[in-house]
Amino acid sequence: MAENYQVLEELGSGSFGKVYKAIDKTTGAIVAIKHIDLEDTNDELADIQGEIALLSTCNSPYVAQYITSFVKGVKLWIVMEYLGGGSCLDLLKPGPFTEAHIAIVCRELLLGLDYLHTSGKIHRDIKAANTLLCQSGQVKLADFGVAAQLTNIKSQRMTFVGTPFWMAPEVIQEAGYDYKADIWSLGITALELAYGQPPNADIHPMKVLFIIPKNPAPRLEGDNWSKTFKDFVAHCLIKDPDRRATAKELLEHKFIKRAGRVEAMREMVERKQMFDAHPESTTHPKYYEETMIDLSPRSEQDEWIFDTVKPGTVATRRHTAKRRKTARIPSTDAAAVASMMQKMDLNAAPLGTVTDSPIPEARRRSSSRKSSAATAIRVSSGNTPTARRVSNVPKQPLGLDLSFGNSPSTVRHFKRVPSGERRPALCPNPPSNSFHPNPQARTFRPSPPNSAHPLDVETNNENEPPALEYPPTPITKDALYGRRAYNKVLDSVFQEAYADSGSPHQRDAMGKLQQAWAHLDQVDPHGEFLLLKAMVDRLQGDSKLANALGIAISPAPTPAKHNTKASETSLSGTTIHGTGTTRLHRSNTTTQSVTKSSSDLSSTPSVTRESTPFSTPLSTTSQSPVKGPKLILAQNNPHLKSHRRRQSAFVGGEKIFGAGLDDGRGWGLDEKKLPGHVEKGMEQQGLLADILYGQWIQGLKSRWPVA
Amino acid sequence: MAFLFRNRPKSNAEVTRSTKDLLLKLSEEQRPNPKAEEELTRNLQQMKITLQGTLEAEINQQLVFELVNLIVNEDLLYLLANNIHRLPFESRKDAQIIFSSAFRYKQPGYADPEVLRHVIQNRPEIIISLCHGYDRRESALPCGGVLREALKFDAIAALILYDEPSPDGKCRDLGTVNPDLPSSGEGVFWQYFDWIDKSAFEVSADAFNTFRDILTKHKQLVATYLQTNFETFFTKYNYVLIQSESYVTKRQSIKLLGEILLDRANYTVMTTYVESGENLKIIMKLLRDDRRMINYEGFHVFKVFVANPNKSLAVQKILISNREKLLRFLPDFLSDRTEDDQFIDEKSFLIRQIEQLPSTPIPPSTPA
Repeated sequence: MAENYQVLEELGSGSFGKVYKAIDKTTGAIVAIKHIDLEDTNDELADIQGEIALLSTCNSPYVAQYITSFVKGVKLWIVMEYLGGGSCLDLLKPGPFTEAHIAIVCRELLLGLDYLHTSGKIHRDIKAANTLLCQSGQVKLADFGVAAQLTNIKSQRMTFVGTPFWMAPEVIQEAGYDYKADIWSLGITALELAYGQPPNADIHPMKVLFIIPKNPAPRLEGDNWSKTFKDFVAHCLIKDPDRRATAKELLEHKFIKRAGRVEAMREMVERKQMFDAHPESTTHPKYYEETMIDLSPRSEQDEWIFDTVKPGTVATRRHTAKRRKTARIPSTDAAAVASMMQKMDLNAAPLGTVTDSPIPEARRRSSSRKSSAATAIRVSSGNTPTARRVSNVPKQPLGLDLSFGNSPSTVRHFKRVPSGERRPALCPNPPSNSFHPNPQARTFRPSPPNSAHPLDVETNNENEPPALEYPPTPITKDALYGRRAYNKVLDSVFQEAYADSGSPHQRDAMGKLQQAWAHLDQVDPHGEFLLLKAMVDRLQGDSKLANALGIAISPAPTPAKHNTKASETSLSGTTIHGTGTTRLHRSNTTTQSVTKSSSDLSSTPSVTRESTPFSTPLSTTSQSPVKGPKLILAQNNPHLKSHRRRQSAFVGGEKIFGAGLDDGRGWGLDEKKLPGHVEKGMEQQGLLADILYGQWIQGLKSRWPVA
Repeated sequence: MAFLFRNRPKSNAEVTRSTKDLLLKLSEEQRPNPKAEEELTRNLQQMKITLQGTLEAEINQQLVFELVNLIVNEDLLYLLANNIHRLPFESRKDAQIIFSSAFRYKQPGYADPEVLRHVIQNRPEIIISLCHGYDRRESALPCGGVLREALKFDAIAALILYDEPSPDGKCRDLGTVNPDLPSSGEGVFWQYFDWIDKSAFEVSADAFNTFRDILTKHKQLVATYLQTNFETFFTKYNYVLIQSESYVTKRQSIKLLGEILLDRANYTVMTTYVESGENLKIIMKLLRDDRRMINYEGFHVFKVFVANPNKSLAVQKILISNREKLLRFLPDFLSDRTEDDQFIDEKSFLIRQIEQLPSTPIPPSTPA
């Protein structure tokens, strides 16, 4: 059976295993194949069988089509129809749906529910995440992980299953329920599509279980929704199941009757694709993943499925709200920034502590808050890091940077911490981390961005095995530069750009980029620096771009000279790339960035010299950023796009600096603080560190041959 | 599907007769007959709705009574059971519902499922035909569903267990069965081993569920049967199921073996089983399998051998000659199951038992 399928790329993974895209060799059809590792599931063979039995008796255009299943070794392969449009929850990421689109989704869901209900099935977990779309826009019910097959369509069930926010009151009260429970969940799903999250999403799922039976049924409110839509929702959300409408009755509702053609859903699919194409391709398409995570809820927490709910809806909102506040700080408090710049001394460098500056203060505060929020998520969502992370990460805009290395704490522990579990990063020696050899280890130093997945960090602590006493990378000069560039420039630039982003999806995109970058900084400041450098180099190579960015450079300039020149041209520069910011920028804003890059240039010889000792023996390891060719970004590369954005944002972020100081002074002052000066004394130290680092990397390599 | 009801619905008598004719026609023809299938689909759907109602409409007891009687009189269930794989996708599910509704049918005020009684007494072939639903992927799931529901009654389990091939194709009357006579190993029950081992995953898994129901629902019946047919049953069980190539079959059958042995009703079967050195060898190999869940399920059978206070000489011999190895092996065996208190306790109990084994086998005091 397995030979019949050519398995292509991974679509997603969850606690149960992985989902792959595959081609049926006999028909050429594209399918999705779920690999369930049966060795990992303890006693659920019967449950999995039950789900397959139920799926295999469904044959409807409104239900994700089951094709076949077979066992290969200890893996169960479940072959399903490939649905490339993603789930409605995915499609919600760029923003809520319009009423017209919601009507279509509701109609298709009702058709699916009618099919299920007439054949004695109850889905029991209707929600946006379980509603999948084809590329062409067709809407299909998926995830029958907790569905029930009744021997008699009239019989009732007692089992308490589903996802709290979407659960009908009678399910929670455990007094017996029937197919009408799905209708309630459909009503909640309609609200979810309209608001972007289900009602009570900010309340703990456990508490919601008390609220739903107690409170009056939620209603659709707001002037932007039509009366019929509100009426439709009200018909779904009747607390007494006997008075609640059936799927057949609701199909006759005016709201459904006037719904448009299903092809219109393609707009939503395309909107999401645009949205995805934008920020970073570091997350390769993972259409099926959300579903798949849901698909095996019982494998981790029997009947409770909190994890799919909480992080996505609740956490996101919290983060963005808080985030924006802190993000404003640098831009509003220009004087403070300026004073910070003035006070800059060696201690203020990435490895030092700044105590008297307001900014780090603010950051520190927000970071601790954030980490507690993260903990809350963790508690509620059980213990499948992979599953949760996948659904989690993209939804936490601007969340990461502060809790990791960017708080100005003195020692940067070079610990790879799964993004879902940020708190440990704050304490010097997280006790709970155990040593997990992991093939992912090779991403330790991210290879060229398009192949690395900074968001996909696994729970591995590469730093554990060898000496913990010295985190080697920060000591290398380039790492210092990278860290510095991040702390001094990029971070605040990101925050500004984020705050300036207009629409939610722009903001989200910016947030993702920022998060990814924060991660890069956390993991590999060295690589970060080289990446920056390479970007600047190549941008300078393109005269148009260089002009536009104000970094046009003659082949061998002395840094200071060209800086002043460049700044002249920069006024016009920003608007071109101004996706993130549309402000005008003062000329000296660019100087800083250029200075950086040019001083990078001046240090080039030493960079190459230093990198040789350890990069040669380790050519297979993640040293790749050092090597030129790999960093070449195609002109249509999304990274370049984001880079442009960053560049423009960059400029925006720095403008305050100049505000308080006249050019010359600010400049001179700054130069002393520049890494170039610091590094003179550190050259040897850097070399030593590099050797040690190289040894350490080799130790890692022997542990994990993959790396 | 409103178009299906545009015509005046047929009467119960019409629909039953028409269905019977169509099924006969379908079973004779080799080529698909879309027209007949369409009408059959419509008929079966109408019968289903009559028997169980719809979400909106209640059933009419009078019509149900009438239809059930017609189904029995026309012997429709036998035809359906034999031809279920020929039906279109949705109709197979309808057929399953017709079966379950008929089997479940009781006249108001009576406790006796009269259709099922009729089947057991006069038409046991229907049950055998339903078992043969496992011959094909199309029919496996609907037939399995009907069977498991019917297996609530021990007579159904008995029909399957004591089935024997007969020259005239007729089924045995349960009244004539002598439970002390061993089975020939040719009846329908023995085909379950092949259905489980050789079928596609869905069919195999469903057949295993039915197999499990046959062996666990009616303790006394099965205990008697297993005692009489001990050799045939466990030989097949060991070689076809426990040593199956299929991971799922292997794992599930080890687990079921543990359940059967530890059931009080099967005490005699258990003591006979754990006397065998051959059985112990098979199980000890499972402990060394490279798949952890196979190890785990194997452990729960192994523990019965070790915990048995009256170990046979053969078993003692194997355990004693492997004592050192076992004492090295067991402490680290599945040592990551730190949450599983019962497992940890049982493991340390086994270790103690093995430590306390005599240096040479002693004959068991009271041979079981």
